[in-house]
Amino acid sequence: MIQVSGLTKTFRDKARGERAVVDCISFDVRDGEIFGLLGPNGAGKTTTLRMLATLLKPTSGRAMVGGHEVTAEPAAVRRMIGFLSGDMGLYHRLTPREILRVFGRLNGLSEERLRTRIEEVIDMLQMRDFAGTKVDQLSTGMKQRAALARTLLHDPPVLILDEPTSGLDVPTARVIEEFILQARRSGKCILYSTHVMEEAEFLCDRIAVINDGRIRIIGTMTELKAATGHERLREIFLDLLDDQPKKAAVI
Amino acid sequence: MNLRMVTTIYSKEMLDMFRDKRSLISMIVVPVFAMPAIFGVVHYFTESLGKKALQESTRIGISARVSQPGVRGALKISGFELVPQADARAAVEKKTVAAALDEKIGADGSGQITVFMDKTREASSIAGERITALLERLKLARVKTSLRGMGVSEGVLDPFQVTSTNVAPDQKMASFILGSVLGYAVLLLMFTGGMYPAIDMTAGEKERHTLEPLLASPASREEIVLGKIFASTTASFLTAILTIGSLLIAIQRLGMGQGGEELEKLVTRAAPGVGAMALILLTLLPTALFAASVMIAVALFARGFKEAQSLLTPVIMAVVVPAVVGMLPGLELNVGLSLIPVFNVSQLIKEIIIGEYSPINFATAFASNVLYALVAFWISVRIFKTESVLFRS
Repeated sequence: MIQVSGLTKTFRDKARGERAVVDCISFDVRDGEIFGLLGPNGAGKTTTLRMLATLLKPTSGRAMVGGHEVTAEPAAVRRMIGFLSGDMGLYHRLTPREILRVFGRLNGLSEERLRTRIEEVIDMLQMRDFAGTKVDQLSTGMKQRAALARTLLHDPPVLILDEPTSGLDVPTARVIEEFILQARRSGKCILYSTHVMEEAEFLCDRIAVINDGRIRIIGTMTELKAATGHERLREIFLDLLDDQPKKAAVI
Repeated sequence: MNLRMVTTIYSKEMLDMFRDKRSLISMIVVPVFAMPAIFGVVHYFTESLGKKALQESTRIGISARVSQPGVRGALKISGFELVPQADARAAVEKKTVAAALDEKIGADGSGQITVFMDKTREASSIAGERITALLERLKLARVKTSLRGMGVSEGVLDPFQVTSTNVAPDQKMASFILGSVLGYAVLLLMFTGGMYPAIDMTAGEKERHTLEPLLASPASREEIVLGKIFASTTASFLTAILTIGSLLIAIQRLGMGQGGEELEKLVTRAAPGVGAMALILLTLLPTALFAASVMIAVALFARGFKEAQSLLTPVIMAVVVPAVVGMLPGLELNVGLSLIPVFNVSQLIKEIIIGEYSPINFATAFASNVLYALVAFWISVRIFKTESVLFRS
């Protein structure tokens, strides 16, 4: 469902000149799979997800989402995806129900379908108590459930989730995780970015560790363990992050 | 272009806007309440200070050296209270009296009366001018008496009459004043009224991280920008309508108050009719679109609300200059001047209220403003498609 090949994104700034934030990465995500993109802050995770969501144009390389190329057919790609970031991006003066109405219409749901679907996701995410309350009066957990509802509303086959449990307490994070697992069971293709090791280990079928814009390793947990000789993802991750300076020192 | 996308974005922006206190204040509260309040305060101070100045202007100082016959008597008859002063100039400077007179004998033996006044004080100016006028009349009366004594006709002093007539009817004068004030106020408030909504739906969205989900939706950038520009245009246009309405009501209300006779006349004679109002609103429509597009384009560069406010302050200043120039008398719109944005609207409003607008100038200004609005819209879309601007960090 998602195929990424040699994807690169460079930015130019006065201080550092032109630099590759994402440097020739390749991976694919299948239907019914949760693919974790694991990396420290500034590794290139968000830029990668933004390119796949057509918010940013790749400098080079190719990315297909649901059979559509992100640069050539951005509108078709956007119709296939549900995009959620840790910032949630909810209009704080609107209620979750009003936000769902806006995004349902933008995603082309008919008025009749929109009405029933809104009630479905409100029930599904246990939002009935606060669906009519303005977002700025909601707790972080409620907000994240509302943001997830917005992402799932049009039932997209591809979910692009950028640190969706960031800043959430354990019970709320658990609710979100449960829904992600449920989405996998229903056959959705899920690209999941995080820097929480336990979460990646628990949720993801395959994991790619990204640092300095490059993918350091890709595989299932078993494959990662075998390749690195470490048992825990945290150790694998730290080892891979340390790898580059060591290599640089040798060179 | 999908119309449903545009209307969805527009409806969302309108809902959000009407729940935003800052937008409501600039869009509704300022034009509805601030204009009448400003007029009320100015009216109150003008009236009360004028009365006070008139009262104070009757107390004047007079030196013992003033000996011209009839002067003291004439001043008393005119209602002045004469306060003896040894130093007339110092008395005015110390504000003991409104104005003061002193006299000295010139080289030819004639009396030279000096009237001291402080022109920075209204009471002193009034007193000084009244005294000067009274002394001139007294001097003329004495000249006439002397001429009569010599058997010469008074007519030698007045060989011909001079009168001046203002060919502009009162209505035109009133319309000129109203049109000038209205043009300036409407343009200024239109831009400030649309400013907060424009910031909120661009830099505000960036700051609150709500732009990403919107950009990741199937709506195209053009549809998103168009929905936002239409919402901001609505804000600017609504502000314009409210400003016109509240300004006319404010003048009418104040005209009914004490001493507001002139204002009452002004509004009854100059208030635009339905046709003129429709033309004014038609003139303002592309300007509202232009204002919204420009402000959205500029605010998009900002990372947050405060930065956007700083970026838009020069835009508001840039509007004030042509709007103020449009208030100046002597300027008349021609085809060339009709091409200058903002100024052309300020002038057109004035000319429409006076009832002397040229259809060619109207059409030129309207067409050029539509063109500017389209160019500004195109620029907004281009900026909205620029990653470095949209994801500036």
